[in-house]
Amino acid sequence: MKTTRFCAVFALAGVSALAWGQAPTPPAGDPAAGQRKTQMCAGCHGITGWRTAYPEVYGVPKIGGQHPAYIVKALQEYKSGERSHPSMKAIAASLSDNDMADLAAYYGGGAAPGK
Amino acid sequence: MTIRTLRVLPAVLLLWSAAAAHAADLQAGAAKAKEVCQACHGMDGNSTVPDYPKLGGQRPDYLAKALRDYKSGARKNAIMAGFAGTLSAADIENLAAYYSAQPPVLIVKH
Repeated sequence: MKTTRFCAVFALAGVSALAWGQAPTPPAGDPAAGQRKTQMCAGCHGITGWRTAYPEVYGVPKIGGQHPAYIVKALQEYKSGERSHPSMKAIAASLSDNDMADLAAYYGGGAAPGK
Repeated sequence: MTIRTLRVLPAVLLLWSAAAAHAADLQAGAAKAKEVCQACHGMDGNSTVPDYPKLGGQRPDYLAKALRDYKSGARKNAIMAGFAGTLSAADIENLAAYYSAQPPVLIVKH
């Protein structure tokens, strides 16, 4: 009996640890909605061969076909300041979690983030 | 030639000569990719893990900047800091050139 209770406590602790370690499920993105939100992205990411001018000059990354989960992660990191780029920080700061998921679904090719 | 052009010219020439001096070595890039990157990003840069970005066909100067930033700590990622920290400046140029030359799984989407 005592052993059973002991095991139950451990099992419960294990389950909560698992839940604790998991990030909240990202919202499923809608590629059609994402396509309507690209105004802020297309000026750089939609132009073949476009290069940033500030703060460093380099080719703007291609994001078409990228994993949606990675796109969301990048946007969240810009928003939080973990990843720094002046324009991307400002743009990402204006996006909600839903906007990010929609944009990721559009650029990533339609699959929901995390899929 | 305007004064503005004259002002910019030395910088352009410097960048051009720097690029020429470090012509990337695709074979060396492939060898480094096999050793360091392919377990997560794949040899062709078409990573199958959603959290790890695809690299195939990515712009080479963006890839090089990402690696330099991971190495310097300007971009924080525990996994990438470890790998990028072992790379020399030449390794970074070679890897960037190698992955950008792989089949373009990444595209410019309008």
